Amino acid sequence: MRIINENTKSRARKVIVYTIYIFLLSTLQVSFPDAFSFAGQTADLMFVFVVLSGYFNGFWDGAVVGFICGLLRDVFSPPAVVGLDGEVRVTAFIGAFTLFAAGITGASFFTKRMHRNIPFSVVAVMFVTFCYKVAGYVLIFGWSSISGINMNFYNPVAAFVYSFLPQLLLNTVTAIPLIVLIRFLGPVSFRNTKRKDDVISDSGEGTWLGI
Amino acid sequence: MKKLLKTKWFIALVVLLVLAAFAILSLIPGSPIKNLLRPVQLVGSPAQSIVKSAGDTITDFWSAITDGIAIREENKALKEQIADLRYHLTQNEEAALRYEELKEALHIKDTFSNYVIYGASILSRESDEWFSTIRLNAGTADGIVLQPGHSYPVLDVEMNLVGRVIETSDTESRVLPLLHEGFAVAGKVNEVNGATFMVTGDAELKRKGLCLVKDIDADVRLEPGMEIVTSGEGGLFPEGIPIGVIESVDNSNPLEITATLRPYSQIGKLEDVFIMIPYVEPSDETAQTTVG
Repeated sequence: MRIINENTKSRARKVIVYTIYIFLLSTLQVSFPDAFSFAGQTADLMFVFVVLSGYFNGFWDGAVVGFICGLLRDVFSPPAVVGLDGEVRVTAFIGAFTLFAAGITGASFFTKRMHRNIPFSVVAVMFVTFCYKVAGYVLIFGWSSISGINMNFYNPVAAFVYSFLPQLLLNTVTAIPLIVLIRFLGPVSFRNTKRKDDVISDSGEGTWLGI
Repeated sequence: MKKLLKTKWFIALVVLLVLAAFAILSLIPGSPIKNLLRPVQLVGSPAQSIVKSAGDTITDFWSAITDGIAIREENKALKEQIADLRYHLTQNEEAALRYEELKEALHIKDTFSNYVIYGASILSRESDEWFSTIRLNAGTADGIVLQPGHSYPVLDVEMNLVGRVIETSDTESRVLPLLHEGFAVAGKVNEVNGATFMVTGDAELKRKGLCLVKDIDADVRLEPGMEIVTSGEGGLFPEGIPIGVIESVDNSNPLEITATLRPYSQIGKLEDVFIMIPYVEPSDETAQTTVG
């Protein structure tokens, strides 16, 4: 009699592999950011991993991994913003919000149409990075207008050249090793499977870990 | 309706709304929302310490191999420097004795004599282009108790300004770095009666590792290379902490002269920092209670 069936094994693998990657990538990013920096931007390992998890392994994987990575980001490197009273305060849950949104966005725009093929995963990373940057600028601009803070900001062209482009480049480069890890040493095994979409639908797309 | 409630997009939308609400609520002073992250901190911090120390060990090992020749030359230069400093020390000993005599006679106060200095290591740095903070491994349990409305200066080993503590927990502190968009400190040129102005973080200059100098009076002549220190105005920072040097000055608008400043502290390269906490003399009542 087999006590541990294949399904249990794949679930255990998912939890263990995700745990290792989540902790490793999030701690690497905040401990040694200079190692992943270029032109004033830092490669966002957590962000890219979350988008790729959603793209390759489905909506719920993107959502859960994004949420957990976001919580870790809120603990390790929380943003501090100027409140309505002019005082700078450390915030909570902005990381969770951002990475949760990144995970589901990465999963939703590409998985079905692109059948999780590898080249389009890079496009997914670039697309979600672009959305993140645009949303970030709009939110910061909106918040600084509401709170009446006088902030010097890039004009759109300078923002594109000095902020969007380096970040896109770094995240795209970062995506390559992460794609290899998720696809071939990842939480979901794609070995001996011709119909990848069905595998994901069975093990990830419906409910996370099939719970 | 039941079908809608079970759709993944509806659930995702609810989660996003809740997280957005939590993020906004966390901005309220003393908000208990941040306590929800405590379990994540309990699990995450030890994991991060392990990865960081492993990374540091690898970096140190690599440095030991690659920096051999550089260390030898540095050692030679340092020996020469020690000899030079010994000579100056001997010369200054007498001056120091005279200063102590005059200090008592003229009631001169040392710049930082009313501060207690706590050492701390940087646990994590900025992870993003926007608004990130730095985490230190010293908290209320180590004596870093932040009173409401207060903030403590954070300095590097050469006593240059790094930022200020804005939040503490039991074991950790969060630091607002000098380049952060919300950072502001009153500065002045490092000379007697130097004119004061504001040194702030700036979203655009942050990329180049620079700060913005603004609120400069039209009659003040700032020039590249001038050293800027804290002015002591505002009460958060004592006077005389070195901030950096002026990199460029923009006089194009006489009504709004601005300058850029290159901070001395290189946050990316720092490992250890020092927190300055004002020393509070125990009141007579407390002292009597203690004695009694």
